[in-house]
Amino acid sequence: MYFLYELERVITLHPSFFGPRVKEYLTNRLLEDVEGTCTGQYYIICVMDAYDISEGRVVPGSAVAEYTVHYRAVVWRPFKGETVDAIVSSVNRMGVFAEVGPLPVFVSSHLIPPDIKWDPNATPPQYTDNGEQVIEKGTHLRIKLMGTRSDVGSMFAIGSIKEDFLGFENFFFQVVIRRTDNVLGLCDLSNCVASHLRGMAV
Amino acid sequence: MSLLEEDFGSESEDDNFNPAPLGNSDSDAAGDSEDETNVTTKANGVQQRRRSSGGEIDGEADNDTKENGLDVDGAGEEDEDEEEDDDGDDEDDEDAISGRPRKRARRDPRHQFLDVEAEVDEEDEGDEEDEENETAGFIAETHPDDVEDLPEGAATDDRRHRELDRQRERAQQMDAEKQAQLLREKYGRRTATTADPVTVPKRLLLPSVDDPSIWGVKCKPGKEREIVFAVTKRMEERNGTKNPLPIISALERGKTMAGYVYIEARKQADILTALDGVMNVYPRTQMILIPIKEMPELLRVVKSEQLHPGGYVRIKRGKYAGDLAQIDDVESNGLEASLRIVPRLDYGQNEDDANAPTVAGGLKGDAKRKRQGGAGASNPTVRPPPRLFSDVEAKKKHSRFLSSSSTFDKKHWTYMGDDYVNGFLIKDFKIQHLITENVNPTLEEVTRFSAGAEDGTENLDLTALAATLKKSTANESYLPGDTVEVYEGEQQGVWGKAISVRGDIVTISVTNGELRGQNIEVPVKGLRKRFREGDHVKVIGGSRYQDEVGMVVSIKADQVTLLSDLSMKEITVFSKDLREASDTGVAGGLGRYDIHDLVQLDPATVGCVTKVDRESLRILDQNGSTRSVMPSQISNKIERRRNAVATDRNGSEIRTDDTVREIGGEQKQGVIIHIYRSFLFLHNREQTENSGISVVRATNVATVAAKGGRVAQGASSGPDLNKMNPALMRNGTNGNAAMPPPKSFGRDRALGQTVTIRKGPYKGLLGIVKDTTDLEARVELHTKGKTISVPKDTLGFKDPLTGQNIDYTRFAGSRGRGDGGRGGLSNMGGATPGRVPEWSSGGRTPLPMAGGRTPAWQAGGPSNRAPAWSASASTTRTPMWRQEASSTNGSRTPAYASANDGSRTVNPYADGSRTVNPYGSSSTTTISNRTPAWNPTATSSSFTQDPFASTSTSNTTNPTTTATGSRTPAYESSYRTPAPSYPTPNATTTASRSGAYDAPTPGKDFTNAPTPGKDFTNAPTPAAHPSNNGSSSNFNIANTPAAMGMGSAPTPKFSGDAPTPYAGVPETPGFGEGEADAEGEEETSPRYETPSP
Repeated sequence: MYFLYELERVITLHPSFFGPRVKEYLTNRLLEDVEGTCTGQYYIICVMDAYDISEGRVVPGSAVAEYTVHYRAVVWRPFKGETVDAIVSSVNRMGVFAEVGPLPVFVSSHLIPPDIKWDPNATPPQYTDNGEQVIEKGTHLRIKLMGTRSDVGSMFAIGSIKEDFLGFENFFFQVVIRRTDNVLGLCDLSNCVASHLRGMAV
Repeated sequence: MSLLEEDFGSESEDDNFNPAPLGNSDSDAAGDSEDETNVTTKANGVQQRRRSSGGEIDGEADNDTKENGLDVDGAGEEDEDEEEDDDGDDEDDEDAISGRPRKRARRDPRHQFLDVEAEVDEEDEGDEEDEENETAGFIAETHPDDVEDLPEGAATDDRRHRELDRQRERAQQMDAEKQAQLLREKYGRRTATTADPVTVPKRLLLPSVDDPSIWGVKCKPGKEREIVFAVTKRMEERNGTKNPLPIISALERGKTMAGYVYIEARKQADILTALDGVMNVYPRTQMILIPIKEMPELLRVVKSEQLHPGGYVRIKRGKYAGDLAQIDDVESNGLEASLRIVPRLDYGQNEDDANAPTVAGGLKGDAKRKRQGGAGASNPTVRPPPRLFSDVEAKKKHSRFLSSSSTFDKKHWTYMGDDYVNGFLIKDFKIQHLITENVNPTLEEVTRFSAGAEDGTENLDLTALAATLKKSTANESYLPGDTVEVYEGEQQGVWGKAISVRGDIVTISVTNGELRGQNIEVPVKGLRKRFREGDHVKVIGGSRYQDEVGMVVSIKADQVTLLSDLSMKEITVFSKDLREASDTGVAGGLGRYDIHDLVQLDPATVGCVTKVDRESLRILDQNGSTRSVMPSQISNKIERRRNAVATDRNGSEIRTDDTVREIGGEQKQGVIIHIYRSFLFLHNREQTENSGISVVRATNVATVAAKGGRVAQGASSGPDLNKMNPALMRNGTNGNAAMPPPKSFGRDRALGQTVTIRKGPYKGLLGIVKDTTDLEARVELHTKGKTISVPKDTLGFKDPLTGQNIDYTRFAGSRGRGDGGRGGLSNMGGATPGRVPEWSSGGRTPLPMAGGRTPAWQAGGPSNRAPAWSASASTTRTPMWRQEASSTNGSRTPAYASANDGSRTVNPYADGSRTVNPYGSSSTTTISNRTPAWNPTATSSSFTQDPFASTSTSNTTNPTTTATGSRTPAYESSYRTPAPSYPTPNATTTASRSGAYDAPTPGKDFTNAPTPGKDFTNAPTPAAHPSNNGSSSNFNIANTPAAMGMGSAPTPKFSGDAPTPYAGVPETPGFGEGEADAEGEEETSPRYETPSP
């Protein structure tokens, strides 16, 4: 689920950046640091604005200055029980790994309807009901998140497609944020989304 | 015949053992039917036996004299029956005549009564029954017969008739009502008693004082049941004989009251007779009379432990005491179980040959003895470790005790009288010798049983294990807050949160269903933990997956499948072994150690983790051996210390992440991942063994590449001593305090020189300098024809004059001076900077100074220099001095030092001393040259005050030193010129007197050495000014300030001083002070004063 969160971040700045454009620099720095990251609880999709930048405070003993920046950001927070659209990233005997944007989701074979069976002989190996439902890499799935786990800087979830209206989807109406190699990669895409959103905000 | 009978007899007796306690009529009937089926030939004998064995009523209830008589006869017959044939036959015949009709008559009509009667205890009836029996017996027995038979009558004699008549009379006499009452009393009560079990409250059934007592009799613990069986058997045997056992029942409470049997009897003496001769029971000891209140307790039934094949038990004693055993089979009587045990055999390894069983026949006894020995705690031999049976081992020494009977799917061996199937010992144990509760089989033990599978796969019977584990309540762990579900009993399906746990009872706050909101108490055994798919759970004890953390993906009954966070594998465990974990990922127990971690195994041993398995770690320890350890064996993990330093065989420092190679040995190479004392753990990607990790000693390696190119400095010179010098470190914090060597411009003199290399790997080699930079020179080596870069400092030059080996700075310097000497004018401009160090460095200074120089200077100086100095140096230098002076804060010496580039400073002073000498050339004796210097200092301090005052005095000083005459003018002139500049250095001070005092500071410099003077000389600062004067130039320049001081200052004082100092007298104090004060501006004042008097 998406939220508009008001967040806060402390940025330290090297003295070489002190100057008339320090605010600009701080804002840029904030975007770089924060957009596309995962806190373990949610993913920060985009920073709307930094609405409060505190006075800089020089840290005793070093020359760097600390700024506390308050900002508004669009975050995506996956919940237990939430239904999401995902793209399968890999399939094995144990189940299906799929990705919901930056969030990896595992759908165990226990949580796949019994009629959709593991077929290791197909190339590539797949889950199929020998009908039109074929789950292989790249398949679009609608998944219900059964549980989420948060680590430091990353999240993980297990999901189920063993319910009505879940699982294989023929048509995908939603824009799926494709996950790139690392979480930060989200930044690339989210930047355009972000700028779009910012535009709207303005 | 007799044989036949005996057979029958025994058979029927056996048969009748069980039915003994049954109701009389039943037994009768049973006996009847059995007899009818079994016996065909000899009806009489059979009947007898039936009566004796089955008919308790005959023995106990029939008190009729007549019948008793008959009974006695019967019993006698029976006895004889079993022993003698002929008599028995005869008597049987007799009996057949007399007894049979009686029997039949009695049985048939009374059958209905007996039916009823069977439900009543015979004892209850007491005395009245006797009467009743009398009457009833007559009525019942004789009456019908009489009725039928009498009319025909001939068969019986007169006596009976008369008796009958009397009876009838009596009956008639008896009041009808009374009779009715009697009957009612008898039968009415009976009906009431039949209804009893349903309606009568239990407490009325409780024993009373009228009932027989129960005594507890001591016996051998563990033999209780046997004794009870023995007593029962004896009771059976004696029943119906003339001396039946007088006891009523015997019972035992095996587990709860071991060592006692309980006998129910009317009199204590009866017990003695009953137990007389029974083994293992001690009736002669004190018997306990059980209080009436406690009798019901004694009979409370406890459900006995049910053992199921496949379950696990432990053996209490013997060789296998404490060992886990799997139940193979349970005997139907519930007394013995056949167990599968992992045998502990030594295959005769530890036995002496003398003791070895030699005869196969003696095997049994021997084995028995041995077993007993094993059972005794005193057995000194260690018991062999549990291992599966190996026929190969057994054949080595004991092949004759080994026999095989392999079936197609099992390997069956018999060895030393025991059976071994598939490597396990199969043996019968009495259940009382087994621990069946709280067995708590560990995983290790259980796997030993499962390892027996042929294909090596583990086929653990989880359900059996679960059943065993479930029995043990100890590790049943419910905590308040757990979500639990009731799956057994009335409340099945209810679930909620555990509120409190007390022993085996869990209080649950129900969260769903009708009971919602209520708190109920449920025994642990009907509970299981409840999870939902997606829950984040952690595996707690009792499972091999302990400490795994994962998310639940499926739940079947109490088996939960979860996806492990660490391995991303699915594992299945019992829900009781799970506990809810926080949603945050945890670095579980398995993640505690990672590959390449350095861990402490024991105080003396460390190791590097080379492999991480689920339950164990592979570790390469410091001695190079690998071992497999459990995480529990690791005392702690040693954090990687980034700044750990060791030295390699060349003495250069090595740190983590450096690449080193082993010298000698296997020439191992790798990146240092850990440094532990003198051991290095290296990692090399190309190495396969130990996953690329190897351990070497630091002294055996040489650096191949240090991280960040540290090696250049470290490789040859060893540890950098500069780093250990705190004095240098203090300054060193903000960059090297030492001023960079002055830049020389123009062509480097070193170019083209033949040099030796004094340091580093090429030390001692000869080469030609081909090219230079500020710091380095490219030297073409003579030997190798190779051009290398070396720091200029490390070059040794040949002094063109002396032929001595000198270093670069001197070399460069010497050139400057040489030039100066010969004709400095030529490149004065260039030389000037060059000279500064040169002067400072000047070991040579003394000579020229003392002797040739002054003139030289004067000679050369006046003419050429003056302009030169004035031109180039004056302007620049003056400020330089000031700067230095100010920057160094009072202590000029360092200032000089800085000016003169570090180390050289020292020398100049030393030299300076000599330099001074010229000053006191007359009095060379001065201990240190400073003495004169001091004077100037003093003077100088004074001079600031009014520089203009005494030119003449200044002259006086000068004369002493060198050229008085020429200078005088110089002084004046110079002094004027510098005058404006002078204040500048002292800028702050000049204003005040104190400033004047400060002035000495420069003086100090002088103090320290005329060097300053010299410097002045060189450093044209003063010179510059004097330069105007031409010839007065250099030397005086040095003095110039001094002179100025002298002149300027306390002309009076000074005058006083001035001469003296040079004489040497006053200097001494001055000097002393000077030394003491060395540096520091306050000191100037005392110094100032000293001279003043």
